[in-house]
Amino acid sequence: MADKYLVQPDIEFINELRATGGESLKSCFQCATCSVACPIAPDRKPFPRKEMIAASWGLKDKLLSNPDIWLCHNCGDCTAQCPRGAKPGDVLAAIRMKAIKEYARPKFVADAINKGKHLPLLLILPAVIFIVIGLLTGFLDFTPERVHGEIVQAEFFSQWLVDIVFVPLSIWVVVIFAMGLKRFMDDIHKNAVAEGKTDKQTIDTKGFLAALVRVIPAILKHSRFSECSENNDRATPHMMVLFSFIALFIVTAVFFITLYVFGIHGPYSQLHPVKILANVGGIVLIIGAALLMKQRMDKTDEVSTYKDWYLLWLVLGLGVTGMLTELLRLADAAFLTYLIYFIHLMLAFHLVAFLPFSKLAHLVYRTVAMAYNEYSGRESSNA
Amino acid sequence: MSKEQGAPFSGSIMVVGGGISGLTTALEAAEVGYEVFIVEKNPYLGGRVAQLKQYFPKLCPPTCGLEINFRRIKDNPRIKFFTLAEVEKVEGSAGNYNVSVKLNPRYVNENCTCCGACADACQTEIPNEFNFDMDKRKGAFLPHEMAFPARYVISPQIIGTEDAKRCKEACPYDAVDLEMQPKTMDLNVGAIVWATGWEPYDAAKIDNLGFGQYPNIITNMMLERQAAPNGPTNGQILKPSDSKPPESVAFVQCAGSRDQNHLPYCSYICCMASLKHATYIREQYPDTKVYIFYIDLRTPGYRYEKFYDTVKADENVEFVKGKVAAVEDGGTGRVTVIAEDAISGKKIRQTVDMVVLATGMQPTAVNAKLPAADLKYTEEGFIINELDKGGMFATGCANKPADVMMSNQNATGIALKAIQTMVKR
Repeated sequence: MADKYLVQPDIEFINELRATGGESLKSCFQCATCSVACPIAPDRKPFPRKEMIAASWGLKDKLLSNPDIWLCHNCGDCTAQCPRGAKPGDVLAAIRMKAIKEYARPKFVADAINKGKHLPLLLILPAVIFIVIGLLTGFLDFTPERVHGEIVQAEFFSQWLVDIVFVPLSIWVVVIFAMGLKRFMDDIHKNAVAEGKTDKQTIDTKGFLAALVRVIPAILKHSRFSECSENNDRATPHMMVLFSFIALFIVTAVFFITLYVFGIHGPYSQLHPVKILANVGGIVLIIGAALLMKQRMDKTDEVSTYKDWYLLWLVLGLGVTGMLTELLRLADAAFLTYLIYFIHLMLAFHLVAFLPFSKLAHLVYRTVAMAYNEYSGRESSNA
Repeated sequence: MSKEQGAPFSGSIMVVGGGISGLTTALEAAEVGYEVFIVEKNPYLGGRVAQLKQYFPKLCPPTCGLEINFRRIKDNPRIKFFTLAEVEKVEGSAGNYNVSVKLNPRYVNENCTCCGACADACQTEIPNEFNFDMDKRKGAFLPHEMAFPARYVISPQIIGTEDAKRCKEACPYDAVDLEMQPKTMDLNVGAIVWATGWEPYDAAKIDNLGFGQYPNIITNMMLERQAAPNGPTNGQILKPSDSKPPESVAFVQCAGSRDQNHLPYCSYICCMASLKHATYIREQYPDTKVYIFYIDLRTPGYRYEKFYDTVKADENVEFVKGKVAAVEDGGTGRVTVIAEDAISGKKIRQTVDMVVLATGMQPTAVNAKLPAADLKYTEEGFIINELDKGGMFATGCANKPADVMMSNQNATGIALKAIQTMVKR
């Protein structure tokens, strides 16, 4: 803040932060306890003290383009030590959500997803899409037949229908992220240069990718997350959820390839290695999500908002419906199997389609910000 | 005077606490003609001020203010003071209170000449509270060399031991009386002024600042005692670990203050105290570096601001805007304090020889409940003055954090309020 600067507060932005988990931000009196309490803030331009004053002053542009909001893992150590109850951890979470909404286009989708009142409509949306496309194409069969006496979900909800919906959806997600990320990268680099967090003038792609490769193991190991003390017990369940998603992604990819390349249909035998991976992934996902929810409920001194619960219920719902579909199929309850499978696909639609708009987008932004931070050389130089 | 207004209202005022506020209230009331009782729990009058080396902004020694007050007390027959005394019970209402006061035995009578023979004979040593336990004193002791009343005290801890007998035998004036018993005395007064003062906030409660973990982390009041000529180090500021002069000292402002996890309020004096302490250190050690880590510096008024300017001009005193939020072992007895300099946006790790925590004041009534039922307190334990109701009042730091000057102003005003309680009726 050494340079002269005309503050133009964005009051609406301040109010929005306060309404989405950062209600206490104005209590901050800039003592900077938080920047010291944070176990992962770098020595050079540490956070979140400077983010707190920027939030208080309504400096939206400065905040949304700030990679530091993503370096924060919301571990809550700052909130616990804050002498004013200003809850910097929760304020940063609110800023991150605002940044996700800012970088994801079209904007109305983000607005809709992050408000509870649109939830019923959004829940019905995939069902309508499935039914309309299913009936038009005939890929949805309400009187499915058994194959060799066994229930096969694909007889009811054709694999073609799944792919007609989810393949374009995945492409849309990639395109939206690509567009958002281009702006995001430009912005965080500009911010880092302006605030003296880096000595690099440009982003060289090779160097950045190398940095990305260097941070991936840290992300997988949750090594930063584990440095937290207040919410340390969140690290393991979070890791469980991440790894089960990776496992289930692999499972889906294997099924997709074997189906289209080798023409092999499910269901697989329970002893098949891919099936074992799927089952383990499903169980770990449920346990991880349930633990995360329990910890949020127990942690009353931290704010949990709609964005948090939406994602957690979605993840838990995916796990539960996935496992239930399988169990009901094995229990030979045909109608229930199809019903739960349908719901499972509705939830999967939410997860994929709204990935760039929901809190889950942190998967991408945090990874990129961490890679950028690694690339910037900020941590190594204690200038 | 109260008799002119009609009985049954007593014309006496009780002042609980014989620190600077209590003394002022007592003297102001007595010198306009009222009978005053001072009840002091310590064996001496003068309170926290007696523990200081100097008080700001003029940096006078406490003798300067206290001696004149003691003289006035001696000269005024309307003031009766009781040391080692505690209020046990208060009954009645404004204008007519019955107060039970417990008088704890001193075991030394008025024959004492402060010759010190009892202390020489005594073998037991007990931690010296007056110096925040930084040294020890004998079981028979004079609280400090300007103690008023100037009379030795035998600690209850040695009563019943051989040591106590040795003290008695050593006394050439027959001043040691080991048979003294606690007594209870009932007084009828018209108004009560609570001048129960403050205690330094317990620094051990501030987990992240390492007090108790590192020997070279002390509190501001400990530094004050070190710097005082009658203190444990005879006025020398020394590192507790090796009793050597510190080459660098960091002050941690707002240690446990303005913090909802500790004291949520500002104690008003700690900024000025640390600036004053910086002058102590700089006078003693011309090469020692002083770092003051602060959130905001509060030096209200022209004089205090000027004082700040003077300290700021000293190039060996460095001010860092950022609260120390963590400490680490700096090796070889040194301590590293960690803060973010909010001006440069850099995390600072400053390794120093000694750290001083500028802890705030907590009203005494928080840890020792007062026996008066109808007192109202703030959430933090300060007594709220209900001036319209009258009868009982609080003054000085029992009412709000204040320096000596404000305490005296407030105490004078409260003396008038106490008088009005009786005159109005």
